[in-house]
Amino acid sequence: MKGYLVFLKKELLEYAKTYKLLIMLMVFAIFGITNPLVAKLTPQILESLMTDGIIAALPEPTAYDAWTQFFKNATQMGLIVMVILFSGVLSSELSKGTLINLLTKGLSRTAVILSKFTGMILVWTASIALCFGLTYGYTAYLFPDGDISNLLFSVLCLWLFGLFLQAVIILSAALTKSSYGCLLITVIVVAACFILDIIPSMHRYNPVSLATDNMGLIMGSVEASSLLRAIIITCMLSFIFLLLSVARFRRKQI
Amino acid sequence: MGILEIKQLYKSFGNHEVLKGLDMDVPEHSIFGFVGQNGAGKTTTMKIILGLLKPDSGSVTVCGEEVKYGETKTNRNIGFLPDVPEFYGYMNPMDYLKLCGEITGLSKSRIKSRCGELLELVGLKDVKKKIGGFSRGMKQRLGIAQALLNEPKLLICDEPTSALDPIGRKEILDILLAAKGKTTVVFSTHILSDVERICDRIAVLHDGKLALCGTLSEVKMSHRHNGLVLEFDNEKAASFFTDAEELKKPSISLLRKGNTVTVFLTGNNMDGQLIIDVLSRKRIVPLKFEVMEPTLESLFMEVVR
Repeated sequence: MKGYLVFLKKELLEYAKTYKLLIMLMVFAIFGITNPLVAKLTPQILESLMTDGIIAALPEPTAYDAWTQFFKNATQMGLIVMVILFSGVLSSELSKGTLINLLTKGLSRTAVILSKFTGMILVWTASIALCFGLTYGYTAYLFPDGDISNLLFSVLCLWLFGLFLQAVIILSAALTKSSYGCLLITVIVVAACFILDIIPSMHRYNPVSLATDNMGLIMGSVEASSLLRAIIITCMLSFIFLLLSVARFRRKQI
Repeated sequence: MGILEIKQLYKSFGNHEVLKGLDMDVPEHSIFGFVGQNGAGKTTTMKIILGLLKPDSGSVTVCGEEVKYGETKTNRNIGFLPDVPEFYGYMNPMDYLKLCGEITGLSKSRIKSRCGELLELVGLKDVKKKIGGFSRGMKQRLGIAQALLNEPKLLICDEPTSALDPIGRKEILDILLAAKGKTTVVFSTHILSDVERICDRIAVLHDGKLALCGTLSEVKMSHRHNGLVLEFDNEKAASFFTDAEELKKPSISLLRKGNTVTVFLTGNNMDGQLIIDVLSRKRIVPLKFEVMEPTLESLFMEVVR
């Protein structure tokens, strides 16, 4: 337990000092600010591009457009940036040999995996919270009459999907030696989720629905309860992946 | 009982057998030089001692406790310096030692006093810059500091002096020598002069086993050839000596090189006295009369060949 806390402190310090935290926060802050702005300005930009004679009826932008931007950016660019930043979480320490010193000092391997996982979750949570906070405040300012249901739940679903991805990353990091191997496995898992999603009956169980149904939840076309199974499956899978990575890492020859 | 005992250790990577039944015994308070060619298996042996690699078979005990792979319990008695120690570049030496101290479970006040002492010992006391800007020698010294942090009974150093400049090497060796009173040091190297300088015991790893093991003097003694080196001031004297009737025996062989004659004596009851008799009878005074001492280098070459 002591090792876990000490190593977690070191992980967080590392995110701060190696600018990883800064990159994550900046990327998500930029999304957070631009989401409502893009929604607000898109019709005006289009209008200014139109030459005389072409008349297109552009609907008045609403808060929904801002949240569409939010979920589009966070689930695409946001998750990609996160995966790339975190893909070297274990391999960089293994290939450089910085971990050997600490392991020979009595740091348990379980503590290494758990504190790395916790560190990733904390960074991800801070980033998504920042992005959400900025979008929320700015949207409320630009579109004062927007009242949106299921918003927090929808963001939580996205957060949970990020956590699931991190469990995949940590497992693939424990399985492979290089950060590219880690990236590859993560991409394969995500691709597999999307391919499974083609089968309509699988959608309710698929973790990926947590990152694709967000707008549906807000618009009311998807019932919150219909995601329950996906949530349970995602939590279980993340937990299993974490256990597997601990088990694998304990046996890894370093 | 030794502080580190290795029995019948086997380890292979794929088809490549690295250790083939290694036995080793390191007594307490010695400086143990672990010598071998590149790729002989020195690092592998050390990693097995530390529980970082899993041996195929065999056992390792540290301070009477068996090492189990993947668990790091026995490591509380061990300090380890990897061949190329790597640290978190964004920390300064004090931060890093604090982190190590916290992981080892030392108390706050202990960490503080210990870090100060060790940084002083390795000469990094007033260095405030980040480890990322350290030279190789500085990293090596910080490596020793972190290895000594928990006052280990056994200090394992993997080639601590390779790739350092002469001054850096001397500093590291001096630090190791200073640590001798408190701990047992096992260090691997292929620089034989380092071994000669500070070690009291040596083991040569070759072909997955110890080819040679013992105290320096024991090892040298057991490999002493009954050889004498004589140097004369001119060729005539040298020829005069080699022509002596007493030396024309099968048990004596002579090797002449200019003014120098090397005499090898085999068989029982043969010693330098015979040669001195010859010299005195022929009334020759050599410039040099020397009993051949095996150098570590020649010993190493001999066992490794």
